[in-house]
Amino acid sequence: MASTVIGQPVPQVSALEKVQGRAVYAGDLAFPGMLHARVLRSPYAHARIRSVDVSAARALPGVKAVVTGADVPERRWGVAHKQQHVLAKGVVRFIGEEVAAVVATSESVANDAIDLINVDYEPLDALLNAGSAFDDDAPQVHAEGNLAHEIRIARGDVDAGFASADLIHEDVYSTQSQYPGYMEPMATVATVDGTGKLTVWTATQSVFLARQRLAEALDRPVSTIRVHQPAVGGGFGGKIVEERSSVIAAFLATVVDRPVRLGLSRLEDFQSGCFSVPTRIRLKMGMQNDGRIVAKEVDILAECGAYAGLAPEVMLVTAMRSDNMQRIENVRSRARLVYTHTMPRGAFRGFGGTQMLFALNSHLATMADKLGIDPVDLHRRNAIRTGDTSVHGWSIGSCGLPECLDQVTGAIGWSAKRERPETGGVLRRGIGMAAAMHVSGNRTMGNWDGSTVTLKVNEDGRAVILTAESDMGQGANTMLSQICAEELGIPLSHVTVLAPDTDTAPYALGSIASRVTVNAGHAMLKAAKQARDQILDAAAAKLGCDAADLSIVEGVVQSTVNDNLFAPLPEICRYHIFRHGGEGILVTATHDPRTVMMDKDHYGNIAPAYSFAAQAVEVEVDTETGQVQVVETWLSDDCGRAINPLAVHGQSNGAAVQAIGWALHEHLQFEDGRLMNGNLADYTMPTADALPRVNSSIVESNDPNGPLGAKGASETAILPGAPAIANAVYDAIGVRITDLPITPEKILAGLAALGEKNHASV
Amino acid sequence: MRRKTLSITVNGEPVEADVPANRLLSEFIREDLALTGTKRGCETGVCGACSVLVDGKALKSCLCLAAQADGASITTIEGLGSRDDLHPLQESFMACGGLQCGYCTPGFLIAAADLLARNPRPSDDEIRQGLSGNLCRCTGYQGIVDAIREASEKMNGH
Amino acid sequence: MRPFDFLEPSSLPEALSMLAEHGDACCIMAGGTALLLAMRQRMLAPETVVSLGKLDELRDIAFDPDAGLRIGALARHADVAGSSIVQAHCPALAGMAGGLANPQVRNQGTIGGNLCYADPATDPATFLLAAGAEVTIAGRGGERRLPLRAFLVDYFTTALESGEILTAIHLPPPGSRQMLYRRYLRTPAEHRPVVNIALSAVTDGGALSDVRLIVGAATPVPQALAQTEDFLAGKSVNAAIAAEAAALAGAEVEPLSDGRADAAFRRQIVRTATRRILLDAAGLDWKDNAA
Repeated sequence: MASTVIGQPVPQVSALEKVQGRAVYAGDLAFPGMLHARVLRSPYAHARIRSVDVSAARALPGVKAVVTGADVPERRWGVAHKQQHVLAKGVVRFIGEEVAAVVATSESVANDAIDLINVDYEPLDALLNAGSAFDDDAPQVHAEGNLAHEIRIARGDVDAGFASADLIHEDVYSTQSQYPGYMEPMATVATVDGTGKLTVWTATQSVFLARQRLAEALDRPVSTIRVHQPAVGGGFGGKIVEERSSVIAAFLATVVDRPVRLGLSRLEDFQSGCFSVPTRIRLKMGMQNDGRIVAKEVDILAECGAYAGLAPEVMLVTAMRSDNMQRIENVRSRARLVYTHTMPRGAFRGFGGTQMLFALNSHLATMADKLGIDPVDLHRRNAIRTGDTSVHGWSIGSCGLPECLDQVTGAIGWSAKRERPETGGVLRRGIGMAAAMHVSGNRTMGNWDGSTVTLKVNEDGRAVILTAESDMGQGANTMLSQICAEELGIPLSHVTVLAPDTDTAPYALGSIASRVTVNAGHAMLKAAKQARDQILDAAAAKLGCDAADLSIVEGVVQSTVNDNLFAPLPEICRYHIFRHGGEGILVTATHDPRTVMMDKDHYGNIAPAYSFAAQAVEVEVDTETGQVQVVETWLSDDCGRAINPLAVHGQSNGAAVQAIGWALHEHLQFEDGRLMNGNLADYTMPTADALPRVNSSIVESNDPNGPLGAKGASETAILPGAPAIANAVYDAIGVRITDLPITPEKILAGLAALGEKNHASV
Repeated sequence: MRRKTLSITVNGEPVEADVPANRLLSEFIREDLALTGTKRGCETGVCGACSVLVDGKALKSCLCLAAQADGASITTIEGLGSRDDLHPLQESFMACGGLQCGYCTPGFLIAAADLLARNPRPSDDEIRQGLSGNLCRCTGYQGIVDAIREASEKMNGH
Repeated sequence: MRPFDFLEPSSLPEALSMLAEHGDACCIMAGGTALLLAMRQRMLAPETVVSLGKLDELRDIAFDPDAGLRIGALARHADVAGSSIVQAHCPALAGMAGGLANPQVRNQGTIGGNLCYADPATDPATFLLAAGAEVTIAGRGGERRLPLRAFLVDYFTTALESGEILTAIHLPPPGSRQMLYRRYLRTPAEHRPVVNIALSAVTDGGALSDVRLIVGAATPVPQALAQTEDFLAGKSVNAAIAAEAAALAGAEVEPLSDGRADAAFRRQIVRTATRRILLDAAGLDWKDNAA
């Protein structure tokens, strides 16, 4: 019998409150006596703070506290690199870095007080360009130098591979930083109770990682801090552990001993990051005439801005993840991460994958052209398959990449469009495609990638789920509810997922690395099965039959052998409690996948499953204005199994549009290290009228390690968009853009260069 | 005249209030009336998350003084429909995947209500044009466009 | 935003006397969309804001066969776009107003406020110049009427004197005049025009006369492309003429450079826009006619 819950396009469990405007985000919270905080930011990319005079600000009526770097704990916080304080101490390293903060009775008083703080800066030379980081006279961002991290990976015999190649192609690609652009700017409310305990409501993707970082930054025990996740208005990686405002808000609450709200303005949200990591990638690849890849070498220069944050982990993904998408034996990567005096860059949806997949897919299209092979065939010929172990030791339990390629090329009419004659004229059309892979989970933190779910079944037979895996809009809570409802045989509306709370939920890593469906989904399945077993055991005792002959159907425990034996679920749940030795149904289950951490050579099967995607697009290029319009897009996501197709399509469509924004429209403009377009009018994210219909489809490869076959479905989909567009632009006008974004100016310059070249060759 | 006495209707209820002249309509709605469904997304009139209906027409409440709304009838997201009597747009946004994180959702629903009031049977292109003042980063807009088309059909008796 | 006094006159004379009383320390607010942004960014910090919101008489839109269209300065963009009078007598104006900015701004922003703010990155001024518009300005001494060309002085600067209020915009009867308007965005995701262009001409048996070709958004104030207009006078547009006109337009336009686009890019768009609007006006397909 087909499930009425699993695989159904059910609305998000939070949808009802969201359409009424009644979901509560951090900035919506208010408490009696709550104060308001504002932050003073550095106007210099690099400067020594000689002194800060806060006397006038402190004297302003309504101001409750003014703090500077001198007041914050000495202990530094960070991911691997412990580099930051709650507020800058002594030196500022980017324009926008937090120098002082004010707490006042209103935002407007706090703003006025900020204007009264007088900072004496000694401006210093700034390193604003990653390419200059290793110059002899380069300003040093940190005492240990400008190299934040370096990775070298080599497998097989790359030199022999190149020697055996019929075609070697080398090019340099560059990718720009993208702003996550979540619609909710960072917001936090923090308060201290009568016992001194600090409680924080903040827009985060992980309450436990947030608590860990607060403990470090505020230099106090983890258990003296409680973090709640309210509704979160999007994260896209930027709300993991790199934003800084929640740390400042929490510190301020400890200073004034009262509730404090700090909601960033959009400009501040831009100034404080966290943006994706910009890269310059040199890619060299060797192929045989049949298209088989025999060697690949990459050299990456990545920029993390002023502080390392998660950027080293991001760069590792850029350096090696896409190697696993193909059957390839000889690979060599060198990747260097450098500091600059600009805002910190780090985690962003796709986590380093977008950068390399732009280079790789652009490169493959170029080489396919040179070899006279259809790029789709080139992808197929090299694609890794189910059952393979990749060059870096990844065990591919399921791979729907060939099916993804079939779906998108079929939908867009790839063959017919490739064969159509060139039309000439002012508007030129072209098609392009790209393929991608991503992890579902990643064993990278302390050799645990597990997930724990606690399930309570109430005396009325309805369920409550406690988890700290988080939903920022992507649908995690709906997925958990669907699995729970299915296993317990109850309606979806009878399941509640409690908002993450570090004091009540079991430990969890949160929504990172596309790990929630594949790991928390499994934990949910286990917990629900345990609860179901308890219910059936109780029912068997009450009904006097064998538990193995019972099942739960639509809220009724029913014998499968005797129609007259049944009891409503609430009756059994009450019976479970109200008897000698009874108790409420409360189970906890953990799933830690059988994956391994990478060894020192970056080898090892880090994820329980791997997701794949492909995209085909058609663009129209206006050869007079340089404007590129995506006129058709088809994206196919191999998510293993779509527990909720509505949510998977939503992820795919949103990712496709975020990729269109990155490829064509979104570009941070800096002048002397200052962000010149830090607002939503000048940093132009696509609106509905800028887009065609966005199409997505699903491949169900049923991964053996996924809960009910499911894999992650939120990040793979952002990966193929930019190169698919670049390839389509090339197909349309013969101009190969290797540096993102693809602006009208670059299109016109490329056409002009092409014209000169053609003219010269006549 | 640093302050202004307002006499307005909010979601059908009369409201009298005395506000500073420099109070934005968005601040008045969120902070004074505690109607926090109206969101603060950019404060520069771009993202549309703070859209409300003023005398039936969608405005960005961060580009409007509370004082300017004196005498007007305001509908915020809280007044569009109720839990037991949702507006067709609210129902279709739920059913069609017209929302994910939900932060932009109130503004889109208001913009959509304004669009359907002006143009009860918009084409997909007209729907997209009608949403040009609102930003969403989660859905890629497809679920939103689908939802508005579905609501339009339902409201026109299809 | 700094505190200010908020005044709401209920008649034009009252408004004018308030302006006289408060002088340069006050700002006039029409729809408020642009003014509030500037005040919030502290580019403007008036002591007093005089809101014209209650002056409903300034919202009227009327047509007279001899005098043409009269649009009250406080008509909102959506009012202009939706007005059956405008649609009947100047459909291109309705089209321009209906595509400006976004729906919420069209519901609030006014055509007069738009002209007085004189932000180059917007649409109405370009169109209205091509239409030969004039404006009426009320002051304490009475009304004065001047061509829109004289009203638009520079980047964010108009001929409006302290104490004056723009009350109406007048468009002469269109007669046999053909009007076209096009807006160019740098990318589909941008909403402010990088170039806009308006063409107004009498087409007499194919030959153009009384040509007005105005480009805006590319320049600090909309620029009449005088040499191109002269070149086009008396000519019937074909692909070669359009290409030649485009080259002339590109040569004579004096584009600005800013964070959104440099002058060279804007010049290229002006060339393109000129060629296309001329071919559109002639009913020819510009897609096949690359210069």
